[in-house]
Amino acid sequence: MRLELVCEGLLAFFAGLLLLPYAATGGSAGEMQFQVHLVWATDDAKPPEGKDYKPLEPDIRKQIKALKWKNYFEVRHINFSLQPATNKKVAISDKCSIDVKDLGNSNLEVVLIGKGKEVARVKQVLRKGEILVPAGDAPNETAWLAILQRVQ
Amino acid sequence: MHYEDQLKVQAYLDGELPEAESREMANRLARDQSAVALLTELRQTREAVVGFENDLRLPESREFYWSKIKGQIERLEPPEVRPPVPLIARLSRWLVPAAGVALLFLLVRLGIPAPETSSIETALADPGAMIYHDYSAGATFVWLSYPADQEIADEDELGTFE
Repeated sequence: MRLELVCEGLLAFFAGLLLLPYAATGGSAGEMQFQVHLVWATDDAKPPEGKDYKPLEPDIRKQIKALKWKNYFEVRHINFSLQPATNKKVAISDKCSIDVKDLGNSNLEVVLIGKGKEVARVKQVLRKGEILVPAGDAPNETAWLAILQRVQ
Repeated sequence: MHYEDQLKVQAYLDGELPEAESREMANRLARDQSAVALLTELRQTREAVVGFENDLRLPESREFYWSKIKGQIERLEPPEVRPPVPLIARLSRWLVPAAGVALLFLLVRLGIPAPETSSIETALADPGAMIYHDYSAGATFVWLSYPADQEIADEDELGTFE
């Protein structure tokens, strides 16, 4: 009898440990925080004359190791947050914007808009620290990247 | 010079001739100007090609590069004609997702959030676009032909950004 009680107690303890993460978040995701880094990829050593572009953060550079340009210059970066089950449209340039919608459980719908038209729509899980990178080739063997990073 | 002889000159240059034939070719080169000319041309071509290869460098990883080519090939391939599916397989197509939905419903009812999945859905207006996942780095790339090609070409070098 006592042994059964001990076993039941242990089971309850481990079950509690397993459910602790869910309890801590209340069973639903809270506000998410993002950064969008607009980046110019090039083999040139310096940004164009007159442009004060900074080198991309080393941590993000590691995440884009699949790309082999020599240098990545951050043109600008934008911080924004997203409430659960809402969407937010963020302008990344005069002509391009990105619309991020929370679909729940870290699922996001990301729409890239160029010149007022939808260019790409991606639905995927983006966990903390992960990045989604709409990108494309640019003249002179360079490239542009719009790195959407989930910060929180 | 005959075609076979030309091939022998090439093999001589590559060091692929047996010893006896190699000696024979060396003797021939001492007296045959056309063979010498061909050997010189082949050697220069090889040096030029080797030098050119050294300058080649992909701006992306091998896996990324080949996934772009794979995506282009897949777009060109005609749709696959599928054989008729047996009844059990057709039923299981419905039963398996239905079981999944039932499980999700149960999890929701129990107040446990559904596990995160790594599925991805895309709708790309750009026919030249491709997607590449680098799971080890937690990165997903959506490589588009838009908008830099159009906008930057039309305007200043970094017109897309400003």
